[in-house]
Amino acid sequence: MTTCDLCDRPAIYHDVRIVNNVHNTTHLCAEHALEAGVNLGPIDLSVVFSTIEETLEHTSAKACPDCGMTIAQYKKCSLLGCPTCYETFKEVLLPIINKVQNNNTQHVGRVPSQMSVDLNRHLQIRKLLKKLESAVSQEQYEQAATLRDQLRELHESDDHHEN
Amino acid sequence: MKINPEQNCPFNSDYAPFGDVVLSSRARLARNLEGFPFVNRSTTSDCMEVASLVSRICTQDDSPLSLEWIDMDELDEITSQMFVERHLISSHLAESTHPRAIAVGPELSRSVMVNEEDHIRIQSIRPGLQLQEVREDVQKLDLSIEEVIAYAFDEQFGFITACPTNLGTGARFSVMLHLPGLRIVKDLQRVHQASEGMSLAIRGYRGEGSGTIADLFQVSNQLTLGETEEHLCNILSDEFLPPVIEWERKARMRIAKEQPSKLDDQTFRAIGVLHNARILTPEEAMNCLGNIRLGICLDRITDIDIRTINRLMIDIHPGHLRWKYGKELSTDEINSRRSDLIREKLGA
Repeated sequence: MTTCDLCDRPAIYHDVRIVNNVHNTTHLCAEHALEAGVNLGPIDLSVVFSTIEETLEHTSAKACPDCGMTIAQYKKCSLLGCPTCYETFKEVLLPIINKVQNNNTQHVGRVPSQMSVDLNRHLQIRKLLKKLESAVSQEQYEQAATLRDQLRELHESDDHHEN
Repeated sequence: MKINPEQNCPFNSDYAPFGDVVLSSRARLARNLEGFPFVNRSTTSDCMEVASLVSRICTQDDSPLSLEWIDMDELDEITSQMFVERHLISSHLAESTHPRAIAVGPELSRSVMVNEEDHIRIQSIRPGLQLQEVREDVQKLDLSIEEVIAYAFDEQFGFITACPTNLGTGARFSVMLHLPGLRIVKDLQRVHQASEGMSLAIRGYRGEGSGTIADLFQVSNQLTLGETEEHLCNILSDEFLPPVIEWERKARMRIAKEQPSKLDDQTFRAIGVLHNARILTPEEAMNCLGNIRLGICLDRITDIDIRTINRLMIDIHPGHLRWKYGKELSTDEINSRRSDLIREKLGA
């Protein structure tokens, strides 16, 4: 067992840094690690990534249909692009979530109450506008006309709502 | 809003349970809006849309939140730095350039960051051990926001966040601890042992590499998924903290009994430095304040109020000094102003 650089207790913190081709290794026990202010808790995502490298390579070409995020980009910034990414990359993310959340993969805390009417309408309009944009760009004018009608209806109900 | 950090500081309060060991308690919730990409993939117009939706809650005349809405681009740099030092906003929010905002309570203890790593980060900070209170603070804000906004939520993963480390409850509870006793009797490892199996993260104040300042440590829950908000909070407040507080108090008593002259030397030497120095770096000032704090807790000093020390531990940071002295100060000038402020507050 590796012992602490500063005393004889077993080391629990290990750090390797390479500066100008020189390896610097540090091994510290809990006492000296805390005293040195090193972080004894939060999980380093880069370490987690390295343990699931194979799965990452496998799905690296896939992009999220909603935001265009790829796993390579995620690996770079450790942040996902949108809620749909969790569905798109579930296979890759589950082992990561397992690691960082100590094998917990099921939420048991508070659940949000009903979605508000206002925002629901706002989101519907957003979705329809996106569909309309794509229908027009693909010259699907019939579909575009239907989407326009739906949008008009929503706006009318909005006016009605405000009055 | 006229921000007045002198009058509005949670640390002015008399009420700070277990304040000899626990400096402050903090809670934060991470939330994202349904139907929008996360902030890192958002366009400027997405960010503006999110900010506008959230601002509705704060700017309504009958808003129950009592929060003031501030566009980050309209906030001057000094106040922004001061907010970072108060933990009201993150340095990431202060330094970014995309549309972002903060809604802040007039008492400067509750805040909602908009377009940080997640669309919404709800926070509350209080002095002493008040984890249940800060948990209730953020929950109240959360419920009010939820009436107007639909959060991104998944039955399996809970509240959806940009980083998987915040999934589920999105809740992070933390305490800032002052542990000089355990450091002096070389028993800090017990704190680490106590946290084992509880999935807690312990870090020194000002973190890695530079060493811990003033024996301050921050402890927070590492897991956010698979446990209720209440349980995550209770692990920290009911399981981890009681033995740690007891060990720290016992260590302090032991020092007072076995090494009284060493303790007095450390305490009064710190007072001597702060009374006489004309240039003080933040590290030196914080370490001296930490030593004086220990002296106050062990009744070696009776004419300094512990709240004065707690306030100074915040007020001596550059943003606060620049706010107080109202101009662009160089690092040398800040170090000099720091010593002036400390002498004034200690009545030297």
